[in-house]
Amino acid sequence: MKRRIQVTHHLLWLSLLVFVVPGFASHRRQPPQDSEAARDFKPFLDRVKAYVKMQKKLEASLPALKSTKDPAQILERQHALATEIIAARRDALQGDIFTHEAAERFRKIIHKSFEGRAGHLARRTMQQDTPFKVVAMHVNDVFPENIPLTTTPPTLMLKLPELPPELAYRFVGRTLVLKDIKAELVVDLIPNALP
Amino acid sequence: MPTMRCSVLVTCVALAALSLPLRAQELTLPLKKNSVRFAVIGDMGNGSKEQYAVAGQMVAYHSKFPFDFVIMLGDDLIGGKDPEDYQKKFELPYKPLLDAGVKFYATLGNHDVSNERFYKLFNMKGQQYYTYKKGNVQFFVLDSNYMNPQQLAWLEKELQNSKSAWKICYFHHPLYSSGAYHGPSVELRHLLEPLFIKYGVQVVFAGHDHVYERVKPQHGIYYFTEGASGELRKGNLRKTDQTAAGYDQDRTFMLVEIAGDEFYFQTISRVGRTVDSGMIPRVAKTAASWPKVRPGPGGLPDRTVAKATGVKLTGAPTAAE
Repeated sequence: MKRRIQVTHHLLWLSLLVFVVPGFASHRRQPPQDSEAARDFKPFLDRVKAYVKMQKKLEASLPALKSTKDPAQILERQHALATEIIAARRDALQGDIFTHEAAERFRKIIHKSFEGRAGHLARRTMQQDTPFKVVAMHVNDVFPENIPLTTTPPTLMLKLPELPPELAYRFVGRTLVLKDIKAELVVDLIPNALP
Repeated sequence: MPTMRCSVLVTCVALAALSLPLRAQELTLPLKKNSVRFAVIGDMGNGSKEQYAVAGQMVAYHSKFPFDFVIMLGDDLIGGKDPEDYQKKFELPYKPLLDAGVKFYATLGNHDVSNERFYKLFNMKGQQYYTYKKGNVQFFVLDSNYMNPQQLAWLEKELQNSKSAWKICYFHHPLYSSGAYHGPSVELRHLLEPLFIKYGVQVVFAGHDHVYERVKPQHGIYYFTEGASGELRKGNLRKTDQTAAGYDQDRTFMLVEIAGDEFYFQTISRVGRTVDSGMIPRVAKTAASWPKVRPGPGGLPDRTVAKATGVKLTGAPTAAE
């Protein structure tokens, strides 16, 4: 009898942990729930990891980037890194990182995130930014510095796979770009990602 | 040749400062002993003559109100990002202040690039988002272009650990704004405001809309938009019942003095007119009623501050919504 009570207590605590604790952390990441999504994202995340590994290796061959009063040094470093990466990925193609399955999964998540009231807010976030003439983007392009950034909707980012700090999700028009923020390069992209 | 151009521009700033009429340098701030003093600028980095004129006013005021640092609310470099742009849009207009040892703490706007965080004079130390303390004030500087879950988690941890009496957040996109062009970032507000309320953030600064606006306190938090220190959208402010004060006729910057439990502010136009001023008292975050802004001299007539009690957690919608 005593043992049964103990087991019931443990079960109660366990259900508290499972159901209540995540509720408190409402703004935290809600990673893709189903195993199908996790499976579709695995190759994407593996390739992201491999990209960052390569970026770090190439970066190691350059002088370390420290805060400097000389903006020319920052730009030179950025261009040097971009040149190295472009050379190392000269054969890279669209879809190398956003694999077909991952791209489809991204499109589904993005489309769902732009539906309903929450979707209205996400759409507003993007519409709020300064309009600009959309430019066509390709893998290994330098991300144009003169176009204003479109805010990546924060509620959407809660649903997408987490990226390392070297990379960012950026929208340019309807295209989702995987951007290298140190080299300011287009790493990969999903055209027509937005509904 | 560039050196000569530099000297001409610096001379222009100095002349602009010297030629200001005396009334332009009226100070409403109390200059209390050991207070934290700073200036606020946003959306300034366009290299225009208006940016230089605002900078000239800042220099003029610095002699009367020696502020130690300036917070930059984003769009620090609009357009080109070449080394000459850093000079023309930042180093030259603010040279007298930089020479006087005034530090600038930047946040990134939608016209900035990520690598600006490595520019030493922006004091970001290579970080997209960061925090720093000045006296009894802790500043939390966010990247509102890219509010990812890592940044939210970082903010919550830093706010939770903060022991400072004043907690001030600043970033580029305003959570409340009556600017017709951009308006409020409601989605961002849903994520950030609960943290601000929970951890007792008292004041929030943003830019993006090229106007000046002080919003009536929302859940006890005072929101300022200062997005007109270089850029301007004249006549773009559509005042709503959330607007406590606003100005959209010329470029502006703010001066702030925090002394103990009192936050004093003065907003000054390009020609030196004080367009808003007042004092915000610090209250415990659990106070039942929100404090009123006590008007200072020289401000605009609209001083009504409504109590924010009873407003839904996400805030009342503005006309722009």
